[in-house]
Amino acid sequence: MISISGIGWTVGEGKGCAIKGFPLHGIGGGGAVEPPGKEIFSFPFKNFGRLDPVSRMAGYAVALALKDAGIEYSQDGKLDMGIIGTNASGSLDSDVRYFRDYLESGRTISRGNLFIYTLPSSPLGEAAIHFGLQGPLYYMTGTGDPLKLIMDAAAETMLLDNVPAMLAGVFEEDAAICFVLMKDGECSGRRYWRDIAQAGQLTGGRFDILEIIEKTSKLKERKCSK
Amino acid sequence: MERRRISAPGVKAVVVSCDMVTAFGRSSDVCWENILGGRSAISRIARFRTKAFVSDYSAALDTLRYHGQESMVMQMLRSLFEQSEGSVPRDAKLILATTKGEVDLLEQAILEGRGDVSESRPSVLLGKVASLAGVDDAGMVISAACASSSAAVAKAAATIRCGHADCVLVVACDSVTEFVFSGFSSLMALDKNAAMPFDKNRSGLSLGDAAAYALIMSEARAKKEDREIIGEIAGWGLSDDANHMTGPSRDSQGMILALQRALKSASAEATDIGFISAHGTGTVYNDAMEIRAFEAVFGELKVPVYSIKGAVGHTMGAAGLIEMIIAFRALKERTVPSTVNLQEPDGDFREWVSVRQCNVNAGQSALLTNAGFSGINAALVLAGGA
Repeated sequence: MISISGIGWTVGEGKGCAIKGFPLHGIGGGGAVEPPGKEIFSFPFKNFGRLDPVSRMAGYAVALALKDAGIEYSQDGKLDMGIIGTNASGSLDSDVRYFRDYLESGRTISRGNLFIYTLPSSPLGEAAIHFGLQGPLYYMTGTGDPLKLIMDAAAETMLLDNVPAMLAGVFEEDAAICFVLMKDGECSGRRYWRDIAQAGQLTGGRFDILEIIEKTSKLKERKCSK
Repeated sequence: MERRRISAPGVKAVVVSCDMVTAFGRSSDVCWENILGGRSAISRIARFRTKAFVSDYSAALDTLRYHGQESMVMQMLRSLFEQSEGSVPRDAKLILATTKGEVDLLEQAILEGRGDVSESRPSVLLGKVASLAGVDDAGMVISAACASSSAAVAKAAATIRCGHADCVLVVACDSVTEFVFSGFSSLMALDKNAAMPFDKNRSGLSLGDAAAYALIMSEARAKKEDREIIGEIAGWGLSDDANHMTGPSRDSQGMILALQRALKSASAEATDIGFISAHGTGTVYNDAMEIRAFEAVFGELKVPVYSIKGAVGHTMGAAGLIEMIIAFRALKERTVPSTVNLQEPDGDFREWVSVRQCNVNAGQSALLTNAGFSGINAALVLAGGA
């Protein structure tokens, strides 16, 4: 069985974890780019201020989800863990930013540091670099339930690719939520809430992170079954 | 010499139909023949002004209309599916792989005020592809940079092996736009001339237009419907370098991990692999990273390696699917193509790549690799048809 052993989120009002239940109001809230503090990251996130908005949101949500699951990471090591992400519009905002910037230069100079975020998988890549995620990494989208889409894919990856843990998240420019999925044998001793079949019910089939977070915050802690 | 045929565990995912459009034109036959003939589709591009860029070369399909009534990927997909009428069952699950899809619509919206930028979202293209292919499934998009379509093929095979579906249509597409070309130019990733994968004088990649599809079924359904089995997706491995956004890993650990996972997934050994269809972009660092990974996994075996990107360019999100179709053809013909535009292999590469074609032993399988921004690596193990 695969269970959810950690959930982290960030929205305009603040940041939080499901299990630890601490809303970190004011840290980076309101869209401002705050220097990442020890409350969030185990070590400084390199060039955090230069990341695109989705990557920053993804960084916060992944850090809090890992913290929630009790998973430690460091600069020196890698995790056998992958990441799958989704959102409503791919990299549309970054695409517009890059292309307008290029046009404003008179179509002579384009900026590589804007171009790299025109791939919807790039925020996942930034997370992989900081947290040392060596497992499968890809972006998905579809017309159905977004959480079900990424969680089913993450579960399939864990079962068939023999990856012990996956991150699955919805990452937007103004909000993000990330789930840590682990095989039961891997999360022994850790707490979890629901199996992934139930997680899809959090969305109501829509890309509404605020609704997901609200429902997530009401989840009850359960013991990890063996 | 007849070698053992690998036997992956569980339900077999087999390819029963596939085709492509590249700068050579429509059909995989045309692409295969040009590659075997050592011809390159890379030439000077006239689609947009290139004066500000480091290169003006790409493998562009000259029949495409840029900023016309329809995006370039849709023009390619339309010509592809017009020819495949009836071969795609309505109940097929749909996976679309792309990096920038209809980004030319975004260009049009901003440059000409025609349409809305949101029309370039991948989910919008997904709906169009579902309609074009004639499937009932609303489908999903997978985007994993330049490993998008190999990741999509892996997802399709996993879905079938899990028993969640018995028929999956994988569609892949990307096109050469000013948006993409300017970006790769800013990263200094383009060769000033045509890309020369694995050559000692290589200095970058050439972008290319492409669209392709592969219909993948469980072996049981393929046999029930009396479909020709082109080949099997016997195994796959995905990984990430967790190292750098645009540069490949200097120790190749991510690619090594993907290769090991793919072989394990296929229950295959290094000796089962007859050749490797490499990502082989032509950039200095990518090609070196791949050869290091092959050295680590295959050691003294020196399995023949080739890249088709000197012929069709780097087709981004479509690359893996194009390369898979060509690899299946190579297995069928028992011929490993040479690398188009390779003149003099770089240093130790000469033990792996060749300017000449060679043969594959019957029963041997192929290994396919792709890599992309964000340190993404993908490897597929492909077994030939019956």
